[in-house]
Amino acid sequence: MAFQVLFGRGRGRSPTDLPKQAREHIGKIEGPGGAAKAEELAKVLSQIKQILQGPPEGESNPDTLLQLVTSINDEDLLYLLALNLHKLPFEARKDTQVIFSYVFRFRHPTAPPKNEPHALAHVIEKRPQVLVELCRGYDHKESATPAGTVLREVLKSEAAAAVILYDDGDVPGSSAGGYSAIRRDRPQTGNGIFWAFFDWIDKGSFEVAADAFTTFRELLTKHKELVPTYLQVNFELFFHKYNTTLVQSSSYVTKRQSIKLLGEILLDRSNYNVMTAYVDRGEHLKICMNLLRDDRKMVQYEGFHVFKVFVANPHKSVPVQKILLMNREKLLHFLSHFLEDRTDDEQFIDEREFLIRQIRNMPPQPVPPLR
Amino acid sequence: MTDEGVADHYQVLEELGRGSFGVVYKAIEKATGETVAIKHIDLESSEDDIQEIQQEISVLSTCASSYVTQYKGSFLRGHKLWIVMEYLGGGSCLDLLKPGNFSEVHIAVICRELLLGLEYLHAEGKIHRDIKAANVLLSETGKVKLADFGVAAQLTHMKSQRNTFVGTPFWMAPEVIQQAGYDFKADIWSLGITAIEFALGEPPHANIHPMKVLFQIPKNPPPRLEGKFSKEFKDFIAQCLVKDPDHRPSARDLLKHRFIRSAGKVEALQELINRKQMWDAKQDRVKLPVFYQETLHNISPKNESDEWVFDTVRSVVVPRRGTVRSRKPSPAFVAEDAMRKLDVKDGPLQPITPQTVKKSTVRRQPSNAYQSHASVRRITSNGSPRASVSSKRPLQPDLSFGNSGSTTRLFRRVPSDHSNPELSPTLEEFKHNENRPPSIYQTPVEPTNKEAMIGRRLYNKAIEPSLDELHAQTATSSKRDALANLSDAFAYLNSVDPEGAYHLFRNIVTSVSQDSRLNQVILGGQNNAQPGPPPKTPVDGTPQGTVVINRERRAMSSVSVSSAASTNLPTPSSNLSPTKLLMSQENPHLLSHRRRRSAVPSDAGSVIAARSPEKGEREREREQRDREKEKLAAMEALRYPGQNAVPGMEHCKQITDLLYSRWTDGLMARWGAAGGRG
Repeated sequence: MAFQVLFGRGRGRSPTDLPKQAREHIGKIEGPGGAAKAEELAKVLSQIKQILQGPPEGESNPDTLLQLVTSINDEDLLYLLALNLHKLPFEARKDTQVIFSYVFRFRHPTAPPKNEPHALAHVIEKRPQVLVELCRGYDHKESATPAGTVLREVLKSEAAAAVILYDDGDVPGSSAGGYSAIRRDRPQTGNGIFWAFFDWIDKGSFEVAADAFTTFRELLTKHKELVPTYLQVNFELFFHKYNTTLVQSSSYVTKRQSIKLLGEILLDRSNYNVMTAYVDRGEHLKICMNLLRDDRKMVQYEGFHVFKVFVANPHKSVPVQKILLMNREKLLHFLSHFLEDRTDDEQFIDEREFLIRQIRNMPPQPVPPLR
Repeated sequence: MTDEGVADHYQVLEELGRGSFGVVYKAIEKATGETVAIKHIDLESSEDDIQEIQQEISVLSTCASSYVTQYKGSFLRGHKLWIVMEYLGGGSCLDLLKPGNFSEVHIAVICRELLLGLEYLHAEGKIHRDIKAANVLLSETGKVKLADFGVAAQLTHMKSQRNTFVGTPFWMAPEVIQQAGYDFKADIWSLGITAIEFALGEPPHANIHPMKVLFQIPKNPPPRLEGKFSKEFKDFIAQCLVKDPDHRPSARDLLKHRFIRSAGKVEALQELINRKQMWDAKQDRVKLPVFYQETLHNISPKNESDEWVFDTVRSVVVPRRGTVRSRKPSPAFVAEDAMRKLDVKDGPLQPITPQTVKKSTVRRQPSNAYQSHASVRRITSNGSPRASVSSKRPLQPDLSFGNSGSTTRLFRRVPSDHSNPELSPTLEEFKHNENRPPSIYQTPVEPTNKEAMIGRRLYNKAIEPSLDELHAQTATSSKRDALANLSDAFAYLNSVDPEGAYHLFRNIVTSVSQDSRLNQVILGGQNNAQPGPPPKTPVDGTPQGTVVINRERRAMSSVSVSSAASTNLPTPSSNLSPTKLLMSQENPHLLSHRRRRSAVPSDAGSVIAARSPEKGEREREREQRDREKEKLAAMEALRYPGQNAVPGMEHCKQITDLLYSRWTDGLMARWGAAGGRG
């Protein structure tokens, strides 16, 4: 009935025509009369959104929805929308976000429950560029929020996350050939879309950077099989970029949040091998010790939660032991007064005490770890 | 995130007030000449909220409605986040209620506009969750706008529901309190309560403790408006306050209500704004006592020997410094540090230059200094240094957050009020400190004459906050160092010769006023030597709503005004004596200010838990304890609306608060299971 209310006005539109119309309008929003086309497009998008949302009370007919979603795939509408998101009018951007969200979630009742939703499966295998273009939404302030919102929903799917992590242009094994083409043992060149996040986070305006960081965090913390492998294969590239771009960022927010995320990544059990490799490096410890001396308390505090991993490690590497021993007295003095006003943070106090004991009890000369 | 320079696009003017989590300034966008309001949030004083602030921004930035305060942008400056909003000169409805209650005519207009705003938000899948007079702002022309989206929710699916326990107790819908899952209808209930607030000046149950109200609202029959009001108005409120959300009408339904349909034009609301201006003009703005701000400047820029040694390569480290109050190391350290500095043989790690500084101070009052140091050492070795050497935190006068029920939110947000050095002091600690005289390690000179007192006041009120603010907003480390050094130098001057500070500024101001160009740019051309009545209060309108004008900042530019004011105010030195411990009366406010956004258990804890999964169990226990503490603090923070302590009777209020917190403590033990489903 709602269907008739929406489309019964004599123009003979059917849901499957809408994606086609949208596609035609998108092609013209930049030419002469683009503003009018953008308005037309906005109307069509709003209609698509309403069908997807269904009537206020009740649900849409799943067959109608399936037709609509199929038609959206056929017209490659998702790609076009992602590509042009920043050019759309304000309300149309929000509608687009809702469309993505519903389309990526839609599953026909008869489909096997294990399958990915139709459109998502299509994108992951046949059109990974849709996800890449959504990431590029961070190139523009206008598209950052809607694109980021869609991405974070999509990234709940491990396959979708893999598509973004392993995008690497035309290189064989890149996700550009679809999810099944991905070769996880091949180190990344650093030119893929994932590596662009570092720049968005470090150089974007606050709104863009903060949204990009949230997505970045989701990518790196959600999938406990995918990410550890990825970080091990791309260890050098990843942590070099991470430490130079994010941890040393001149932006307070980027710096603080990325130190915190580093701690989370290292202390995640699934990243055990990554963690042990990370804390073996003297260079990493130096960066971290300097964070403890930052002049902003929250940076010191977040730095502490990385530092503790180095000290608590029972198999400290020789370079790490050397640095700690060289600074032993200073560290003991420093730590005994470190962030003293955190008096009700018992865990912190315990951990600080623990670190002091560990450092005090270190043998005077570095001992090669037994591992 | 490199948008340091964006701040230069704005000319920041006077402080409009202090809101729930930051200071709000009036400013002008240089390019357009447009007046805006800019909220400054000190991110360094908040633990884990950056993402939550970001959430608020994303809700705001996706609103485009003339019924919602327009978001214009946000950017970072040092560790302060600036949020630029539309400037609304009419002020909040809570402020406008101060001269008296609203008439039905006015209420109908405001309610209609609010319903239009809610209709928009709800269609967008947003729930405001904190509708109350304090969050309703008026433009100078009478346009009504919803503000403060600090706890707003964005639903991704139109039919989904929320469980989170947020809002302000008196205005909360029963289903929100019961956490049975709620949706847009919760805003309608709050609107009904707000309408009562407009008519009576306060929400129902305002005389009951907010914590108790949380039991009353679901249990009692819905409040009704009694008395000499029209049938339509009473019915409108009854419609809003239907306990079953399924039977409560939507915003769209209510727009058809007779009370709303007969409402007049928004221009009529200008009467409320005018009334407030008249009222302000008549008020003898009696200031609350101003408190001495204890300042400890302990750490000077570190010298090289203090850096880490990494092989032959010396690490480049930004020197740590302690002049900014928000990152002051604990007083115990300060004391120890100071003692070490006194010992010539000791401390190769200690900076050299400032030693003489401290010594000369000591020399002036040797016995005093000796005593205080000795006691510090003893306490330190006892292992419980904090209790008695904690310094007094500077407090903000003229705050009025305490008088409205504060918003309970899912996430803690610590305000930036310069007075917040401890990241999370326990309640006990706080109370403890409150009842003790400030102990200090470096006894500043007692101001002996009027000039010295003004000098000290000048330092505490104007110079130090300004330097702090500037420091907080400076990102470049070399500039930060320069400011730190300046700050240290001033601190020293203040401690040994406040009178000198007075004369210095006196002379500067005089010189400035004699140069026409400087006079115009810096002093705004005004003749600052006239003590007379304070300048006319500007109309305050802020996206925060519940703020008052704080003119302290402007006192800096007109020294003599503050000197006139200070004659009937307690002098800084009065606080040094335990018998005149005036601080305590503001402390509950400070606490509530600090904690008002704290709340109610959240899933934020899960992030912390991720830190060390091997300690999962302990983490959970800790979290539980933290929640208890936070709840306690939240309860402490909830205050009767509209009830400021009567001057001189502050201690009574404090006792009441203490008793309440004990009572609620027991309450929580029984009630602890409730709450906390994100």
